[in-house]
Amino acid sequence: MSETNPNPAPEPSPEPAKPVVPAAAPVAAAPKPLAPKKDMSRGDFLWAGWGMLAAFLAATAAAGARFMFPNVIYEPSQKFNAGAAATYDLGVSTKWLNEQRVWIVRTPSGFYAMWARCTHLGCTPNWWGDQNRFKCPCHGSNYTLDGDVIAGPAPMPLWRAKVMLAATGDLIVDKAVLENKPGKREQAPYFADYAPS
Amino acid sequence: MPMPALDIEKIKKEIIDSQLWRSVFRGGLWKDTPRDRAGHIIGNVWLHLHPVKVRPRALKWAYSWGMGGISFALYLLLTITGVVLMFYYRPTIGLAYRDIKDLEFAVTLGMFLRNAHRWAAQAMVVAVIAHMVRVFLTGAYKKPREFNWGIGVLLLTLTLFLSFTGYLLPWDQLAIWAVTVGTNMAGATPVLGNEGPLGSLVGMRINNDVRFTLLGGTMVGENTLLRFYVMHCVAVPLVVGILLILHFWRIRKDSFSAAPYEANEEKIDVWPHLVKREYIGAAGTTIFIMIWSILQNAPLEAIANPNVTTNPSKAPWYFVGLQELLVYFDPWIAGVVMPGLIIVGLIAIPYIDTNPKGVGYYAWKERPFANTLFMLGVVMWFALIYIGYALRGPNYAWYWPWESWFMNKPAPPPTWSVFGPKGVGAYSMLIGIPLMGAIASAWMLLPKLIQKELDGKKTMGAFLGLLALWAGVGMAMGKMGAIQGGYLLFFVGASFYFGFVLPQRHIRTLDWPRYLVTMVLVVSTMSVLLKMCANLAFNIKYVLTIPAISMNI
Repeated sequence: MSETNPNPAPEPSPEPAKPVVPAAAPVAAAPKPLAPKKDMSRGDFLWAGWGMLAAFLAATAAAGARFMFPNVIYEPSQKFNAGAAATYDLGVSTKWLNEQRVWIVRTPSGFYAMWARCTHLGCTPNWWGDQNRFKCPCHGSNYTLDGDVIAGPAPMPLWRAKVMLAATGDLIVDKAVLENKPGKREQAPYFADYAPS
Repeated sequence: MPMPALDIEKIKKEIIDSQLWRSVFRGGLWKDTPRDRAGHIIGNVWLHLHPVKVRPRALKWAYSWGMGGISFALYLLLTITGVVLMFYYRPTIGLAYRDIKDLEFAVTLGMFLRNAHRWAAQAMVVAVIAHMVRVFLTGAYKKPREFNWGIGVLLLTLTLFLSFTGYLLPWDQLAIWAVTVGTNMAGATPVLGNEGPLGSLVGMRINNDVRFTLLGGTMVGENTLLRFYVMHCVAVPLVVGILLILHFWRIRKDSFSAAPYEANEEKIDVWPHLVKREYIGAAGTTIFIMIWSILQNAPLEAIANPNVTTNPSKAPWYFVGLQELLVYFDPWIAGVVMPGLIIVGLIAIPYIDTNPKGVGYYAWKERPFANTLFMLGVVMWFALIYIGYALRGPNYAWYWPWESWFMNKPAPPPTWSVFGPKGVGAYSMLIGIPLMGAIASAWMLLPKLIQKELDGKKTMGAFLGLLALWAGVGMAMGKMGAIQGGYLLFFVGASFYFGFVLPQRHIRTLDWPRYLVTMVLVVSTMSVLLKMCANLAFNIKYVLTIPAISMNI
């Protein structure tokens, strides 16, 4: 740079070049076969360079963030066979809690499957039959048999999973399909009618 | 034949003059001159971050508590024990817990090293907090050390994050449930989490939000263990190391200690006076951790079960305060906004505290507001830890120390909300928000708008009188018991004193921007006391709730 530019200070160097640009514009408009190239000032060149570096760094950061999202995850299936419906008594069954994290609840008219995940921060509550409550051991949330919050910090009712009565008489529970709104959660597919005569 | 007497001095000289010695250690024979002492600091790569001379005031244990140095000693101890443990540990679900069991029962010194790693980590949390308290109380964060205080706050945060990532690795019940709860808090982040406010509106789902990246899946599993292992052993220690270099560099550049100059004060040599103390601190810390590790084994619960939680399930003690906070506030407030506010607020302190007094010495009387409010925050943090650790039993119910955990507590009474769909005042939008907004803004603005200093005793007396009247009327109407009245007087009285009387007396002359930032921090702190009162004494779940946007306060 300093070889072509006799100016000792680097700052003023783009200054003399500036008038050239507007002067060159009408020349370019003229029907001359060889229009002089529009020179990029040194300052603009540097800004473009910084801009490209910033864009590169931003793209790298975005790519790095994307890298942290796995495309394939190896997690167990959320669907399971909960066995013959006829084997369940009325009330809450904790039979599948340890393996599938689900309570099978039998009412006089059928079944629902409650996902045993506290809606507060995801611990597994315990069923206390004497008080008719699910109680969470992490922050003290209390739920009724329906899954509604009655005390503690949980923000919404427990989730119920999709449950179906297979032709074999087995209950098929799918924890990937969930509902907890009163009115919806009492209907199929979150409730399986079962009333043997 | 008599043995020729050993000429120690001659042997020493020969060793030191040998080519080998000379090639390793620069400088000649040690004559303990000031030049030697200076050369020892300047010429040694490990020591040269020290100044050559230092003011004697800065070296007093009673001034510095030695906690910064001890924190660093613990960091080194943790690095060594951690690297050694890595030789026997494999971060997979099938092997992790077994490897920890092997370390306990099959590896020579394995139990001791794991104990040392665990106890040093806990000691480091204590030491870093103590270091912060000391720096605060001596006003050592003030100009020109504001930036270094901020780095220190980040280092404290990373110390806690290292503990958090570390306790997943044993893959026991404590591990999986602490991390389940911790990462679900991340899932409650506003906008970025699938369960946070506005999260679902911008398309956050269980498999694309910030929790998903942290876990590497939708549940705590194989990927999570690997991610936490890499963060714990490599990524976070590297960041901590970089910040430590910055931290030490700035200490050196900012004239080492904030202790003020005194007339005729003669500086003393860092070698040996400071280096000696650092050595004593590090050696004492190591011995302390060794004895502790011999006497007590690190806990290890049953192997992780992702389906069943232990009852009660508690975080490690330094996070129990946060766990207790989560009882009173929604996860996005207690788990994201409040920790964020604590970190940002701590970093902001040097920029909002314009009091020029009390730099480099303990000065309670010269800085009554800053010291009182900061220590209130520290005391509240440890009070929450005490409540969560000692007063919570099965089902996380409240058990007094004299009550047995085998006693089955009656079911807690149903909670209620003040403003909200099922609340007493149903019109949360129409009445709740304007009313709360009016109270909050009055609280924020009044201390400054009342230009004349109020008589603290009279104001406090009048306010407590009103509270007592309220409690008395409540009790007379049978709506309140004596305990509830006591809670009301204590919590609301305390928040009025610390949140109104003190700011009115001390910071009403502060400029508006600094004043408002300070009041945001003060009022947020007081809101914890008020919400605890509302929840513990009156079973109030939310003061204001708008379920449609998960806006619950």
